[in-house]
Amino acid sequence: MPTAPVITVAFEDVVKGFALDKGMPNQRFTFVPHPIANIPAPTCREYLSGNDPVTGKPIVQEIIGALTGSLTEEEKKTGFIERPIPPRLIGPDTEEKLQRLFYADGWTDGLPIVLPTEERIAKMLKGTSRRPDEVVGKMQASSVREFWSYTVEKVAVNAVMAGAKPEHFPVILAIASTGVPSLFTSTTSFARMVVVNGPIRNKIGMNAGIGALGPFNEANAVIGRAWTLLSKNLGNAGSPGSVYMGSHGNNLNYNNVCFPEKEESLPEGWKPFHVQKGFKPEESVVSVFSGHYLIYGDALQNSRCSPPLGQCLYHELLKVMMQNFGSIGPYRTVKATLLLDPTVARRLKDGEGFGTKEKLQQWLKENTFMPVWEYWVSYPKDFQAAKAGVEPLASWLKLPAETIVPISRFDPPKPVEVPGRLLREPISIVVVGGETLPVWYVGNFDYLASASIDKWR
Amino acid sequence: MKKLINLLLTGVFLVASLSLAFVSHAQEGKMMVLNPLGAPPPIPRVPMAPRLDTLTGKTVYIVDTQFPGTKPFLEEMQKLLSEKFPKVNWVLKDKRGAYFDDDPKLWAEIKEKGQAAIMAIGH
Repeated sequence: MPTAPVITVAFEDVVKGFALDKGMPNQRFTFVPHPIANIPAPTCREYLSGNDPVTGKPIVQEIIGALTGSLTEEEKKTGFIERPIPPRLIGPDTEEKLQRLFYADGWTDGLPIVLPTEERIAKMLKGTSRRPDEVVGKMQASSVREFWSYTVEKVAVNAVMAGAKPEHFPVILAIASTGVPSLFTSTTSFARMVVVNGPIRNKIGMNAGIGALGPFNEANAVIGRAWTLLSKNLGNAGSPGSVYMGSHGNNLNYNNVCFPEKEESLPEGWKPFHVQKGFKPEESVVSVFSGHYLIYGDALQNSRCSPPLGQCLYHELLKVMMQNFGSIGPYRTVKATLLLDPTVARRLKDGEGFGTKEKLQQWLKENTFMPVWEYWVSYPKDFQAAKAGVEPLASWLKLPAETIVPISRFDPPKPVEVPGRLLREPISIVVVGGETLPVWYVGNFDYLASASIDKWR
Repeated sequence: MKKLINLLLTGVFLVASLSLAFVSHAQEGKMMVLNPLGAPPPIPRVPMAPRLDTLTGKTVYIVDTQFPGTKPFLEEMQKLLSEKFPKVNWVLKDKRGAYFDDDPKLWAEIKEKGQAAIMAIGH
């Protein structure tokens, strides 16, 4: 059926890229000014009566033209669009010029890289028993983009660039095998997080203690950095304006919050994260998450604890932190991840009776509340449904705006409505930190996948 | 015998040239490196759907793909197109879910009742 795509001009490059990926490089686009959200009707009319900012032709004429008239020979074409395979080697050139070339072509994260010479790649490849030409996985910059596949050698090139050592390589291969890019085609500046579990954490000297999330440890730093480099270069995920669309970008993408869980400090009964996901304790595993931010929680400085109410200090504060997640928007896809210092985990176990991570997860799901007014702001369609008489929403309209209502916002009301989107545990808990203060981070990170590291040794 | 000597000389010449090139690059502080880029796969082309001769008497769906806050823009589009092309039936319809959700029911309805569509994308 003839269809006219009308696109705001900020997305010109990205939609042209989509059209190419979908095999329709000659799509008849009409571009309109950007933004068009929440602007008054007269401005909408002015925009629509004006010219396409790309072609300079009247917008209405462009829309009609997209739906009518004969197809050109280009538009009728079938077959394949072939694209050149990049040469395996680059050079010879000086180190300085190669560094500039890698940066100018968008292959780095803006920081200097270790140049991937044959000798360095050969050394990196000794970190795995896999063949250099073996396919590790495939990656797409978003659910509507094409998949790019990549070999062990290509991952090694990006691992060398990140400064990784051969002993880090199986972890990087495991991350690459998930197919999850660290950079994502979205206007909302996603971040990623990667948690390492199992014996390899200590074998390669990762830091789960003081400053685990800071710039102190080589393995934490370079493994996380390699994820972004390979996402850019092997998943085609890192071209701002044409593939990457995050308005602010996200500083966390520099090393994607890469750290190991401090399994040795887990309270008795609390399973390591990978064991919660079905792996054996002796297996080494990476788990990847998607989100945007981390919020710092400090029980000693910001206590709202009120012992006579029988609420524990940590429950109360965690609850408050969790309430901040209502502002994400109308998509009901909000998830949360808690990074607890071991002192907090022990307190929750010994002082509050949470014998397992699962008990704490369940408690949080059952005890997360928000005021009615916030709910209406966060979910305007439910507000419309309430006004139309749909229960239980209609009853909430009668409540004072500040009334606290239980919202199972972590469980979408229709979890299987969208085919292919599986319902996952909405709250993840990982223990990490140096036990210098009972603190935590809470972030809107959503657990995506885990992969064995041992398979890539 | 002559051929063998020629072959040997050619081999010696090539080895010498490569060595000189290597020494030359090394002397200049030049190096070869591996390309970090993956290989983009070939893309199967999809021919575009035939266009209409005229929109007169036809039904054209304007689909609200649910980019937040863009409904007024689409309502204005429907008004403007209706004013300029009154003999076309311009139908404004909401796609279900968020902008990344599929809506097979709506696509089926458009195929059954419409002859063309406008999809609006952007914030």
